[in-house]
Amino acid sequence: MVTDMLRRQALALGSLVLSACTLGGWTLLRKKGESPLLLSARDDSDGRHYAVGYRVDGTRVFATQVAQRCHDIIDHPTLSIALFVARRPGTESYLIDLRDGRLLQTITSRPNRHFYGHAVIHKSGEWLYATENDTTDPGRGLLGVYRFNGERLEHSGEIPTHGIGPHQVSWMPDGETLAVANGGIRTEAESRVEMNLDAMEPSLVLMQRDGTLLSKETLSQQMNSVRHMAIARDGTIVAGQQFMGPSHESAELLAIKRPGQPFQAFPVAEQQLQAMAHYTASVAIHNELRLVALTAPRGNRFFIWDLDSGAVKLDAPLPDCAGVGAVADGFVVTSGQGRCRFYDCRQNTLAPQPLELPAGLWDNHLHLV
Amino acid sequence: MFRPKLLFTGLAALALGACAPSDPQAVTSAAIAKQVILPTYSRWVNADRQLAVSALAYCQGKSDLDTARADFLHAQKAWAELQPLLIGPLAEGNRSWQVQFWPDKKNLVGRQVEQLVTAQPQITAEALAKSSVVVQGLSAYEYILFDANIDMAAADQKALYCPLLTAIGERQKNLAEEILNSWNSTDGMLAQLSKFPNQRYADSHEAIAELLRVQVTALDTLKKKLGTPLGRQSKGVPQPFQADAWRSKASLSSLQASLASAETVWSGVDNKGLRGLLPAEQKPLADKIDAAYAESRKQLAALKPPLVELLATEQGRQQLNAFYDSLNVVHRLHEGELAKALGIQLGFNANDGD
Repeated sequence: MVTDMLRRQALALGSLVLSACTLGGWTLLRKKGESPLLLSARDDSDGRHYAVGYRVDGTRVFATQVAQRCHDIIDHPTLSIALFVARRPGTESYLIDLRDGRLLQTITSRPNRHFYGHAVIHKSGEWLYATENDTTDPGRGLLGVYRFNGERLEHSGEIPTHGIGPHQVSWMPDGETLAVANGGIRTEAESRVEMNLDAMEPSLVLMQRDGTLLSKETLSQQMNSVRHMAIARDGTIVAGQQFMGPSHESAELLAIKRPGQPFQAFPVAEQQLQAMAHYTASVAIHNELRLVALTAPRGNRFFIWDLDSGAVKLDAPLPDCAGVGAVADGFVVTSGQGRCRFYDCRQNTLAPQPLELPAGLWDNHLHLV
Repeated sequence: MFRPKLLFTGLAALALGACAPSDPQAVTSAAIAKQVILPTYSRWVNADRQLAVSALAYCQGKSDLDTARADFLHAQKAWAELQPLLIGPLAEGNRSWQVQFWPDKKNLVGRQVEQLVTAQPQITAEALAKSSVVVQGLSAYEYILFDANIDMAAADQKALYCPLLTAIGERQKNLAEEILNSWNSTDGMLAQLSKFPNQRYADSHEAIAELLRVQVTALDTLKKKLGTPLGRQSKGVPQPFQADAWRSKASLSSLQASLASAETVWSGVDNKGLRGLLPAEQKPLADKIDAAYAESRKQLAALKPPLVELLATEQGRQQLNAFYDSLNVVHRLHEGELAKALGIQLGFNANDGD
């Protein structure tokens, strides 16, 4: 078909550039076979859902079709397995063998519960915590607690997230303290419709994994939903927000909690905030380079800042940019529409390098192993 | 879904590298940018330059209200023509809001203009650029010249609103010139739509995808600009004051300008539009889209403005609904069959993320 031909020409032209970049010395591409494994949820153009694993150099490791669309992925600390977590309001998460993509187990949420798209596995490899909704009291945030029995997960209990509509959950550097982004929005089972926009309660919670609340903080705007987080090795938390208020108002879409300091807006220029169209998707931190990256798919914009000084390193157009993750020399970013890119952040001027991964249809999160 | 990895990409790239200009998507993208988009942006800049001159002349008593209003309508039309071409700098940040504030469900335009003329009676274009987007553009300009509660024939009223009117004219001129400069600069938008890869597009396919996406968004917005006053989002109760440019009664002429411009992206100059990218076997689809545009044009031509009067009668609403349906056909064909035929993925996370 002609469109395929067009597509191939484009790919071929892209690869010309890529070869040039490889010559330029990007280690991830030069040492084939050592390229990190990129895990993500992805669709095909007919709307079927997949759990996929690709080497960043473009080699496909697996693409396993699954019934429900997934969101975030979390890998096990010792076993070669990962959980592809159901996207809100999904009820099935998938435990996948990372060597061949084999579906090991489908974890179905308990009655009156659904997943919110995110989870974490304890460093012992024994416990998994997934954000869930109690649909009998819509929006009451829970962490479903699951225990590994070999390569199988068994439900073990649940603890509150001390907030409404929890989204991402992450570990603090001690590997024992949990950070939870409570989005603050109530939704019912099988629905994505917001029920309480006039009474949202977003918060950032730190808690112990036995459920004990350590702190609960809010930002200045009530309609600013705290959704995603990245946590630096020194315990600095950055959070990406989605603002549900009037479209001409300005919102604190990136926030930071430095160790010992309150949760507050990250110093983002007004012009950049406006470019985000009130919506952020993924945040990632580069520990060695001390950078924070943020995708804004509705604004079709990708950003990188210096984590310490707040200086802008990159403010670039990228259609429907989705997941972002740190690799040795910079960030890899995927897109729902276009090609995936690598940004070598050791440079002063950051230029995109298109990757040989399939273009488009990547979900909002990626996880690098 | 997962295309087999192209073998011998290096070889293919070498072979293709020599004849890159024959990449049909690159040729089409460059042609649309140069022959369709850039001339329309130039017309917009000229219309806004005229707007700035016009506001000043009117406020200095050198021209009359009718002339000032005609110059506004000219700028409004130039802006409407840009709707399907909102790609690059003007589509980023909230710059398009700085040109026009729509939808305005709570009459923020009227309220904020009234606050501003009291709070900053001698406002300049520079100060205006730092004010709310609601008062920076054509919507506020239109409010001053057309709102029923303002009588610009009265000297005190004219004195009250004129500083803001001239500031908006100047602000719009500056904004339009700034955008056009960013198109024409080295590695600017024109270059990015013409030579690949670049900082913005990894390949020509990404550029074509964005051109189509912008087109689909514009067609959807046209439906909203008609559907909102028609009451399609309010249980069938017409909302005439939520129309685009209702004060100047330019709602339908704006729709017409936008639709004509959308059709130009599709057909292109010398058939170098999106249609030209369809292979021969897709002729039935091309014919279908041509026919859909023709039908929509015909429906629109049959409407007797202003919109507010059509909204007031059953027959008028029927006509408007028929026009809406024809727009919907154009929109759905672009969003569905055309996107598929061109191998383009439209909004995945952007519209349905989490």
